[in-house]
Amino acid sequence: MFDAIKDKAARGEPLSFDEGVALYRHPNLVELGALANLVREKRHGDRAYFNRNLHINPTNICIASCTLCSYSRKRADEPGAFTLSLADAVGKLRARLEAGQVVTEVHLVGGLREDLPFSYFTDLVSGLKAASPGIAIKAFSAVEIFHFHRVYGQSVEDILRALQASGLDSLPGGGAEIFAPRVRRQICPNKCDADQWIDVHRTAHRLGLPSNATMLFGTLETVEERVEHLVRLRALQTETNGFLAFIPLPFHPENNALGDRPMPTAAETLRMVAVSRLVLQNIPHIKAYWVSLGLPVAQTALWFGADDFDGTVSEEKIYHQAGAQTPQVLPGAEIARIIAAAGRVPVERNTLYTRLEEVKG
Amino acid sequence: MLRLAAVSFLNTKPITHGLTHGGLGADRFSLTFDLPSRCAEALHADRADLALLPLGALGPHASAFRLVPGVAIASRGKVGTVLLLSHVPREQLSVIHLDGASRTSQVLIQLLCRAWGITPRFSPLGHDQIVDAIQATEGALVIGDACFSVAHQFPYVYDLGEAWAEWVGLRFVYAAWVGRKDRVSLDDVRMLRESLALGLQARTEIAQAFANTNGLDPAVCERYLRENIHYDLGSAELCGAQAFLSRAADAGLIQTQGPLRFFSGPSPTQAAPTSARSIDRLLADAAKGARLSHEEGVRLYTQAPLMDLGQAADERRARLHPPNVVTYIIDRNVNYTNACTTACQFCNFYRPAGTPGTYVLSRDELAQKLAETVALGGVQILLQGGVNPDLGLAYYEDLFRFMKANFPLAIHGLSPEEIRFLSEKESLSIPAVLERLAAAGMDSLPGGGAEILDDEIRSRISPHKCSTDTWLEVMRQAHRLGLRSTGTMVFGFGETPVHLVNHLDRLRSLQDETAGFTAFIPWSFQAEGTKLPLRDDTSAARYLRVLALSRLYLDTIPNLQVSWVTMGPALGQIGLRFGGNDFGSAMIEENVVAQAGAVFRLSAQDIERLIRAAGFIPRRRNMRYEWI
Repeated sequence: MFDAIKDKAARGEPLSFDEGVALYRHPNLVELGALANLVREKRHGDRAYFNRNLHINPTNICIASCTLCSYSRKRADEPGAFTLSLADAVGKLRARLEAGQVVTEVHLVGGLREDLPFSYFTDLVSGLKAASPGIAIKAFSAVEIFHFHRVYGQSVEDILRALQASGLDSLPGGGAEIFAPRVRRQICPNKCDADQWIDVHRTAHRLGLPSNATMLFGTLETVEERVEHLVRLRALQTETNGFLAFIPLPFHPENNALGDRPMPTAAETLRMVAVSRLVLQNIPHIKAYWVSLGLPVAQTALWFGADDFDGTVSEEKIYHQAGAQTPQVLPGAEIARIIAAAGRVPVERNTLYTRLEEVKG
Repeated sequence: MLRLAAVSFLNTKPITHGLTHGGLGADRFSLTFDLPSRCAEALHADRADLALLPLGALGPHASAFRLVPGVAIASRGKVGTVLLLSHVPREQLSVIHLDGASRTSQVLIQLLCRAWGITPRFSPLGHDQIVDAIQATEGALVIGDACFSVAHQFPYVYDLGEAWAEWVGLRFVYAAWVGRKDRVSLDDVRMLRESLALGLQARTEIAQAFANTNGLDPAVCERYLRENIHYDLGSAELCGAQAFLSRAADAGLIQTQGPLRFFSGPSPTQAAPTSARSIDRLLADAAKGARLSHEEGVRLYTQAPLMDLGQAADERRARLHPPNVVTYIIDRNVNYTNACTTACQFCNFYRPAGTPGTYVLSRDELAQKLAETVALGGVQILLQGGVNPDLGLAYYEDLFRFMKANFPLAIHGLSPEEIRFLSEKESLSIPAVLERLAAAGMDSLPGGGAEILDDEIRSRISPHKCSTDTWLEVMRQAHRLGLRSTGTMVFGFGETPVHLVNHLDRLRSLQDETAGFTAFIPWSFQAEGTKLPLRDDTSAARYLRVLALSRLYLDTIPNLQVSWVTMGPALGQIGLRFGGNDFGSAMIEENVVAQAGAVFRLSAQDIERLIRAAGFIPRRRNMRYEWI
């Protein structure tokens, strides 16, 4: 079975659902990784990409109450609840720039609110853009976009057009979690469903807004549900070709209602990275998001199918609230060093992967 | 003339082939063939100097005997010629008739019956009557070449080599050259190894001749010699042999024997490769167990792609060990003192002797730690300290006797630097110190303090610690006394690939000489809080590269431990696919590395989960790597 799939994958043919499951279950992890690496190297050679980005979470107040989340507060009067003013948000970016740091992208995602005007969000985009005109704004997961559509009574397309007009460059891949309705009902019942998530990305791609896609694994889903998730993403990509990167995210169990279950082990994470690379051959990049994976696993993942290390990620909050032990920020030079130590060539990229620059590790 | 006695089974023919057919040692050896029991008698009665014998036959005088390294009749699973045959499943057996020709197999079947939970009556019988005795619920232990012609007649065939491997996870040694300790020279050993080497090359002809004489299928005979019988006698085989002897002694089936020891043997000389092998060729060869030269080791380390290195190491692991099992141990690291005179730059644990903040554990503190260890299922104490100038040999002897008298725990300690210090303090030779410690209860030595076994690096990071030669000499002497040890390497001190391979090469050379290393454990230097600023690459990818290279380069050291304590559980787990076959210890306590920033904790349950998630079955082991 493995050898047949191997030949098919090496030729770049799309694998079936059953083949994806069989790959995931293949006992020999290093053999699976080597196959994913073959596909990865065919596409990206020795290069491994990273960028210099800043995470801004404008608010952690959220009506969704997902069991998987360690980050949100339900009400504004709860301890730790916050809402950034436009000045606060722009101030975070300015502080970095004034300290001489390079930031080429702002990653902006937050809680679902019903009490803020839509202009709050368009102003955030245009305000951040104005603070550093060349910067890319990657903002609002499909879940937030769909929520805007519901709360503000405009079509998804109109919402996206308004944000695009304010300076939005691309959409992050968050909120996909696991598409399977069975699992979604238990871990994020108030988020948009899989069809709605996919439709937001379809619309964005049509408007010329590229995006990423994620999958949260290690909650309540089966292996089949993981592979089904990948297959659905692949189908949309065949239709729109708008995804830049896929990011598999292991579930972190601390401080949330799902809790009390072990985090996926390193072997499972690498397995997931490898299967993602092999099933999603039409999505250019597979990202090893170091904040979530941890540095050793993220570095190793560069040999198991991943070609992107994400970025400097100043101010990550969501995973750290869930127990991630990784640093808050990694300077670009440090990322380049880690990539080079893995035997890869570090390449700094912009958000759309249209500007690439080799960096000495 | 050296008088040699051997059995004349098919499986012994490759061992004696060079003597009988290759013209080797005609002026040096006189070889006679006899029944197994007669060979043992001949050795004990001093009518033979060297006999091809089962190791359980040495009796209480084992210390007077030595083994020829590198030559044995062993198995790694199915052996094919030590079988329990019957008409009924083993649970229904009322009697097992025992072939009188092999005492070792008789002991083995009795041990296995206990493991299987069956209690048949055992009834010894002559070799020639044995097959006819198999009737109804009476089965028989059938050994030797008879198995080839009769096994197919019985519906129930239990292969004892396979059963042993499934029970203990180790190899089984049926026979080896045993002789009186002062009778056999280095040249004799070399010639006996050469005889086997010639025999291994002639397996096709040996099988053909044997099949013709006995009316058997030559292909069956050849497959037996190539696939069932495993002719090496190194560290992995010693682990299996010691496990058998101690289990048999514990069951009262044989007398307790001392440790098995080797005659000094010459290091096997490796033929230099005739032409430069490509990286792919090197990896393919090394995965199958072929030896790498120093230059090839450096080349693989610097040039082989990580995943290729990993796959080759994974294949090598699967060939060396039961392919789907990863072992671990429950033990406790007890640092009995932190006072130390060696002042290593990289150490964050020690306090200079005579200064505030030093401690020596009291008996009560120690007893409490040991009792906790036993309560948590621990089987061993890893005992290491600082090099405390106030503590002499008597302290350790008392300590070990106290531990042994009160707790069922193996003592894995002390490291070479501590042994060297005792030798100086007491003005005793290193063997004398080791002998006294072993007599007091020390079971094995940890391989700590090796860091990088290259004096260029050592003089920079630990100038007061023992030199490379001294470290190796302590291990050599320990191995000669029958003590086993591990070897370690700490990298990330700015050493070059050549330094790394030098380290592996020195260990491999000593292993060729003594077969005393059970395992190798590399990890990267944990710099936080030490006096050495971290400049070197100690990232995950480098660790995996070192691990995989170690698996391939150290062809004769059976076990490779991943070091989750220092590298973290995630990397430890990934290491199981880069050559590691052992997850190390569910450590109840660890002080030295914790002081330098590594604070990982895993219970046995966590460890088992990580092993399973990597696709392996976890098995608990002791220091001999015997499943328990």
